[in-house]
Parts: sequence; C-alpha cells; structure tokens
Amino acid sequence: MIQTLPYSTLLQYVYNELPLERQREVEEVLQHDPELASTCADLLLAQRALDGVRCEPRTQTSEVILRYSRTFLVNY
Amino acid sequence: MDHLQPSDSALISLYLAGQESAFAILLERHRSRAYTTILLIVRDEDVAEDLLQDTFIKAIHTLKSGRYNEEGKFAPWICRIAHNLAIDSFRRGKRVPHVSLTDNDRLANTLTIADDGPDDILAREETHARLRALIQELPAAQKEVLLMRHYGDMSFQEIADATGVSINTALGRMRYALINLRKKMTTNSVYYDSNLTLFDTAPVRVQRIAS
Repeated sequence: MIQTLPYSTLLQYVYNELPLERQREVEEVLQHDPELASTCADLLLAQRALDGVRCEPRTQTSEVILRYSRTFLVNY
Repeated sequence: MDHLQPSDSALISLYLAGQESAFAILLERHRSRAYTTILLIVRDEDVAEDLLQDTFIKAIHTLKSGRYNEEGKFAPWICRIAHNLAIDSFRRGKRVPHVSLTDNDRLANTLTIADDGPDDILAREETHARLRALIQELPAAQKEVLLMRHYGDMSFQEIADATGVSINTALGRMRYALINLRKKMTTNSVYYDSNLTLFDTAPVRVQRIAS
C-alpha cells in the first residue's frame, strides 16, 4: 500500500514540528491509513526507546557548575 | 502542567537579574539532554562530566557577559555547545571507548521507572546499554542528526542550518538512522528484550492519535 504522507512529515509530526493546522491534517490521515498509523507508532516507540538511553550526570557535577556560577557573579 | 513552568527565556532574565536559583532550574531542565549528547559522542563518563561542566561554564560566561542572543532558543544553543565540545574532545582523542555499565548508582540514575524488580531493571539497562552501543555504530552524519534532534532538542531546520545541509537531507539522515537502529536491534537479537522492543506497536499509536 502506498502511504499517503511522506515519512519526513511523520518525523516532523512526532517531534512536534508541524504547525497546528498541519498536525490536524496528519491526524486525520492517520485515522484512515492503518499502515501509516503503524509507521507512526514505530516512530513513537523508537522515541521512547531513545528516551530510555538518556543518562543523568552525577550530582556533584551540577553542584560544581552552580558553585562556578555563584563565584562568577562575585568576580564579575 | 508545562504551562505553569517558567520558560527558558524567563529563567534567563531572572538569572541575569541575579537570581541564581533560576540558573539551577535551567541546569536541572537541560543537563540530562546535554550530558547524554556528550556521552554518546565521547563514550567516557568522566570525560562527559568534565565536558558538561565546560558546556555550562561557557554558557554562564556568554549569559553574564551579555552576549547571549535572545532570539535563539536555549535548548538548541546549549546542545550545540555540548555537541561541539564533545566532537572537539573526540577528535583530540581524549576518550577511552568504554562506558561503565555496572555501577549500580549510575544504573539507578538512568532508569525512569523505579518500581520494577531487579531482573526487570537489569534487563532494561542491558537493552539500553545495547542501544547506546548501536547508536555509536551509526554513520557519523546519521548519528549527528539523531543526537541533535532527540537529545539536543534542535529542530530539523536548525540541524540543517548547523550542519550546512537541506532540511530534507537532515530528515533523510534521521530516517536512515532509525532504520539502521531497527536493523541492528533485530540483528543483535541476543540483546533483544520483547518488553522493550524498539518497534512494537498498538498502545502508543492509540495514545498519540488521541492526544
């Protein structure tokens, strides 16, 4: 089946880069195109997986940065 | 309730007016994205911590010297600094190609779901570790777009401008990055966890369409 929207538009949609009007158009198409909806779901799950990779720095690193900011203010 | 949170722009104004707590919120809001971007490039936690400090110190200097461009968005700006510092560091060879995956404190830090049992946590972290490794294997241009878009919060147009390509090229690179990750996850099925599949379907589709 030929998809009714290009993949690039879906990418922009899942990353909230489309204007509201265009978002609504995409959502309208998604409701009538199961294959496109499945592709969109794939993208959203990929986003979720990539979110899981996110890491936090050590607390001490943040403290050093904040201390530097306070010191910089004094010296400025 | 995002609308109740002060915008980055408002926090910057408060910070420049002397409210250090505003900068603490900015740091809290953006450190994870910046740190992940750096770590996925330099692949060494100690180097990444140092570069994260450098990133925000550079930001502090720019902000307090009045050189920050109010027209730009803070998130993409801080990501560009982090990305550039990480790339410079990587090119200088100041990294050891190793990411510790056994430190329990760090492991707990990376998890977003705290109620899972130990086996679930380990399985999840193993999958995340494998995904991190697979991201490293992507072609440089694809990895660059993936990091800038997903962790750096840069729009595809901003990425296109920053890397000197068209928006269609940036979108195409992102597409192939995701396709390649999917292929690699499937190929490396020894690490594949059916509860954490990159590309399962139904529940999320319903959620997104309804939003």
